Amino acid sequence: MKFNIPIGPQHPALKEPISIRLTVEGEVIRDADLRLGYNHRGLEKLAEEKSWIQNIYLTERICGICSHSHATCFVQGAEKLLEIEPPRRGIYLRYLVSELERIHSHLLWLGVAGHEAGFDTFFMYTWRDREVVMDLLEMISGNRVHYAINTLGGVRRDLDESLRKKILEGLAVLKTRSEYYYKIGAMEPTFIGRLAGVGRLTKQQAMDFCAVGPMARASGVDRDVRKNDPHTFYNEVEFDIATADTCDVLGRTVVRIKELFESYKICEQILHKLPDGPVAVKAPRKAKPNEVVSRYEAPRGENIHYIVSNGSEKPERLKVRAPTLANYPATVEILKHGFIADIPLIFAAIDPCICCAERSVELIDSRSGEERTLRFSDLRRMANERARILPLQRNVAWPF
Amino acid sequence: MNDEQKIEKLQTLVPPGTVAHPAPHRIFVTVDPANLVALVAKMKAELDCWYVITISGVDKGVAYEILYHFGDTTGSITVRTQIPKTDPKIPSICGVIPGAVLYERELQDMFGMVVENLPDPRPMLMSDDWPAGNFPLRKDWKFDRPAEIIPGGKK
Repeated sequence: MKFNIPIGPQHPALKEPISIRLTVEGEVIRDADLRLGYNHRGLEKLAEEKSWIQNIYLTERICGICSHSHATCFVQGAEKLLEIEPPRRGIYLRYLVSELERIHSHLLWLGVAGHEAGFDTFFMYTWRDREVVMDLLEMISGNRVHYAINTLGGVRRDLDESLRKKILEGLAVLKTRSEYYYKIGAMEPTFIGRLAGVGRLTKQQAMDFCAVGPMARASGVDRDVRKNDPHTFYNEVEFDIATADTCDVLGRTVVRIKELFESYKICEQILHKLPDGPVAVKAPRKAKPNEVVSRYEAPRGENIHYIVSNGSEKPERLKVRAPTLANYPATVEILKHGFIADIPLIFAAIDPCICCAERSVELIDSRSGEERTLRFSDLRRMANERARILPLQRNVAWPF
Repeated sequence: MNDEQKIEKLQTLVPPGTVAHPAPHRIFVTVDPANLVALVAKMKAELDCWYVITISGVDKGVAYEILYHFGDTTGSITVRTQIPKTDPKIPSICGVIPGAVLYERELQDMFGMVVENLPDPRPMLMSDDWPAGNFPLRKDWKFDRPAEIIPGGKK
């Protein structure tokens, strides 16, 4: 007896509607299929109609969580095409916002992971602390979500000494609390037991399906654009690539926690070494015909923009690839060997922001044709129920 | 492996004059579509290029340009190839790199290219009622928003 479970595609609160069709036998998923394009906004075509400066704000709106990632990736490339070099202080401030964004994104993810695993205390703790970094971002840029700090040739706002001190204080708070949470995670056997062994992706699979970001790094693939594609800034700060070799959701959690600490380290180095001088230079309006490949490590993985200029004030072509798309083939592969009850966790683990909201899931009995509509919260309850009944994996240790 | 070593290696795989090095950490290789899959397979074996970041298509007027961006530990290598608009056929590289499937499906949807031997050639991005023969990223494709009809409004 096989069931077909369509998940998705529409929900007004989601920025990334997606349709997943699963074939299940009992509790085991036998086949998975993705259908994309429900929120295709024709952004690449639109970018060809907009000027270089307008496109910064357009690319910033590709994503709501990692808005700065796309804008930075575009600006990095556009600056090469316009042949301008932003001043040192501008670059430092740009990547300071990048790292703060990574912190807020990872804290958000940890909360979601805790929530999906039925550990809501963790969710409330991390989301409370996310407010600390959100406030810092608001103080720097004036906005909580779309920071709009990038401009061609640098950044739009400067820091003063009092703000620099406030950011350092905020980072100190975040650091102590993150250490505390890491200890909670490591000492809570039910949490580890729920995450360990779920959503296995071997190193070979991660390489075959070109997985990116924490997903690949949790499978032992030590790829990080900040290290692998060295450009002016990340050579000047010290940090390590966070990896894990457990190849499961536990590994993805550990990678993100490790990355939090690396990001605190980078932010502190930026603030201690912050050069003096202007934050931006004036940019020309037109770019000579050329092309550029711009890569950037977003919180979810690698981001790439391929930009072609044609001598006018608009790009000839802008190709964008966001990290979630790169992780879909691997996710389909993971789902094929998972349980229904693990769907929320597996999907949360690639951080696609589609589990954040309630979703409607329809279960269709293939024999009787009877339909039953489940909400995502019911699925989560089933998941937690299964975790409760199953014997705990007591031999699993926190690999950190 | 630094840029010079990578270029040296690439030059043994492709005819002379096809490797460009426009910026640090960026290498561009031009290849004939017929030799594409063989080159990608060799690059995967000898240059550790198992990771295709994405595939970009560009409308060049008379031809389509397709760029395969590969990432490695010290930068990226881009394989560039061109196919005529009159016969836009390109072999799939999914046999070598399974992770490229979504990007190749995107090429089919957006440019109307025919990717041969694609394991999963269904439309990916377009809705089911999308009119056939409309490929948005072609330069000659323009979208005209249909005139808004207000019920009971002026004719």
